Amino acid sequence: MAGLSFDNYQRNQFLAERSKTVPQATSTGTTIVGVKYDGGVLIAADTRSTQGPIVANKNCAKLHRISPKIWCAGAGTAADTEEVTKLIGSNLELHSMYASREPRVVSALQMLKQHLFKYQGHIGAYLIVAGADPTGTHLFSIHAHGSTDVGFYQSLGSGSLAAMAVLEANWRPDLKKEEAMQLASDAIEAGIWNDLGSGSNVDLCIMETGKDAEYLRNYRTPNVREAKQRSYKFPRGTTAVLSERVLDICQVEEETVDIELEA
Amino acid sequence: MATTVASEYSNEVKNTPIEHQFNPYSDNGGTILGIAGEDFAVLAGDTRHTTDYSINSRYEPKVFDCGDNILISANGFAADGNALVKRFQNSLKWYHFDHNDKKLSMRSAARNIQHLLYGKRFFPYYVHTIIAGLDEEGKGAVYSFDPVGSYEREQCRAGGAAASLIMPFLDNQVNFKNQYEPDSHGTKRKHVKFLTVEEVVQLVRDAFSSATERHIHVGDGVEILIVTKEGVRKEFFELKRD
Amino acid sequence: MNGIQVDINHLKKGEVSLGTSIMAVTFRDGVILGADSRTTTGAYIANRVTDKLTRVHEKVWCCRSGSAADTQAVADIVQHYLELYTAQFGEPSTKTAASIFKTLCYENKDNLTAGIIVAGYDEKNKGEVYSIPLGGSVHKQKYAIAGSGSTFIYGYCDKNYKENMSKDETVSFMKNSLSQAIKWDGSSGGVIRMVVLTKDGAERLIFYPEDYENL
Repeated sequence: MAGLSFDNYQRNQFLAERSKTVPQATSTGTTIVGVKYDGGVLIAADTRSTQGPIVANKNCAKLHRISPKIWCAGAGTAADTEEVTKLIGSNLELHSMYASREPRVVSALQMLKQHLFKYQGHIGAYLIVAGADPTGTHLFSIHAHGSTDVGFYQSLGSGSLAAMAVLEANWRPDLKKEEAMQLASDAIEAGIWNDLGSGSNVDLCIMETGKDAEYLRNYRTPNVREAKQRSYKFPRGTTAVLSERVLDICQVEEETVDIELEA
Repeated sequence: MATTVASEYSNEVKNTPIEHQFNPYSDNGGTILGIAGEDFAVLAGDTRHTTDYSINSRYEPKVFDCGDNILISANGFAADGNALVKRFQNSLKWYHFDHNDKKLSMRSAARNIQHLLYGKRFFPYYVHTIIAGLDEEGKGAVYSFDPVGSYEREQCRAGGAAASLIMPFLDNQVNFKNQYEPDSHGTKRKHVKFLTVEEVVQLVRDAFSSATERHIHVGDGVEILIVTKEGVRKEFFELKRD
Repeated sequence: MNGIQVDINHLKKGEVSLGTSIMAVTFRDGVILGADSRTTTGAYIANRVTDKLTRVHEKVWCCRSGSAADTQAVADIVQHYLELYTAQFGEPSTKTAASIFKTLCYENKDNLTAGIIVAGYDEKNKGEVYSIPLGGSVHKQKYAIAGSGSTFIYGYCDKNYKENMSKDETVSFMKNSLSQAIKWDGSSGGVIRMVVLTKDGAERLIFYPEDYENL
């Protein structure tokens, strides 16, 4: 059957009623932003992923490529943002080959929103989609239920309020590229410092018409860990080897074969 | 192939009434750690105060010097923690009034706190409490309590949000658990020895900086209170603020 | 599920909603659509410059209220159908567009939270307004108001609406109405957007808080 399988849905509902602990998907906390400026558009994200109060990954990548010049920042359920972005990415590539045209941001937007709407919010992807295409540069945001917004600046995720405060205070229509990079990074940092769901580093991706997208992984790293006070190197043998057994899990045979080439 | 029919979603919960109730408790995050040495004890706590995904304060101390060389910290729901500490400090004051300024021993302080906690057995203080100081022989002492007053004297104890992250580290580094003498092939456990104040402070700093890395409710700063026979000393170190 | 008492007002958890003030008014030369620009998720304003006036055909537009996702999806489908319709039969009437909206809203009433006002201009019928509230019924009106903010201006609109107003009179009437709706409804706010539909096509207007707050 095409589409996602919901075979386990009812079973999980039943299980959830019976036990108090239900498996939780990774990452609901995030800060992502998108900023339009003079000659282009850029998106940025923090790099913390969480499972409840525990940091699952200190340097994960939340910026996804839909096509070479259309990128997307994801908040919400990590697996959903990743998968939905990949799915629409490949469908968009097929579409652009069929049409012999560069993929457009509005196409990505329409495909994403229709997919998410179909799943009525069960796919927990909150996205900021941006890119450059023959039509110009574009910036949109999409919510899990399938609604979309247009704007010169966007922010999403648990740190979106902190980030939006910075964007609302400092965004101008005539921002230069460097100023926009500064603004987007500052907005993400506001999330990193003030929102517990966000942390670690800032990733950035810049898109301008007629240029390759610039993906700047770890553009800012304001959270490098300082050296530990003590060394925790254990002397060899601290963990005892109680018994040892070596198993051959495959046999390797070497054989040289002469091949006679026919004329 | 068994496939669920998509239309079955629309009938979810919708008709079940929603029950609203006041919840008197909240979680203010943070973590604390007490270690007893040979002739000293430390009680440390981070200084971040949170609710949900927000930071209320980056410096809100929660380890207190009560006098009589007794340190206390009640971690969990901050309002209850403060109430308990205040009640203990008050209790200590009355102890001095009633007993001609007699010094309160750690043993008695612990028993007193048990009664404060158990007194609210059916509406508990939502806290994990640790006290640290010196016992009657001048040896380092750490007592830890559950929310309703069950307590125990221990060599070391972590409490609060990142307790489960720090405790195994302490087992390994303070009590040398799972460490064997090299070349003994697991027959001779590494012999336990008392750590110096310097070593303990280093361990505490590493425990907190590591907890900060992996727990979102821990960070900003760590305040370490150290008791020796000379009295109480405070040390503060910055932690990551993200 | 109880067939009659269906809870159609509920929004799914975390859903973006257009707690809105919208209206459409017929006048001498055609019809004008108007809306505030606030989109909310709970107490947070997710978008303060939303465009709730959506084009489904050159001279047929709609005002959206309710769930942002639902109304956008419905409007996209209607736009698609009208494109096919135009290819086969030429310019659609406003009534045709309203009928497609109605079919979608009525047939899927269990799954939708969409209150839509359809307004358009066609040479034969001039300006028309069709209101399609939650259940999917259709109501042809001289003017229509909808959304959470509309409750505050039923009286005002009833007293002040006149047939065959000029464009300026109509714009002024709508500006006053929406100004009050926004003032009293916390879920409405931002700028007032309008679209004027006449024989000459569609014209967009925008009014900032300083233009409408102290009328």
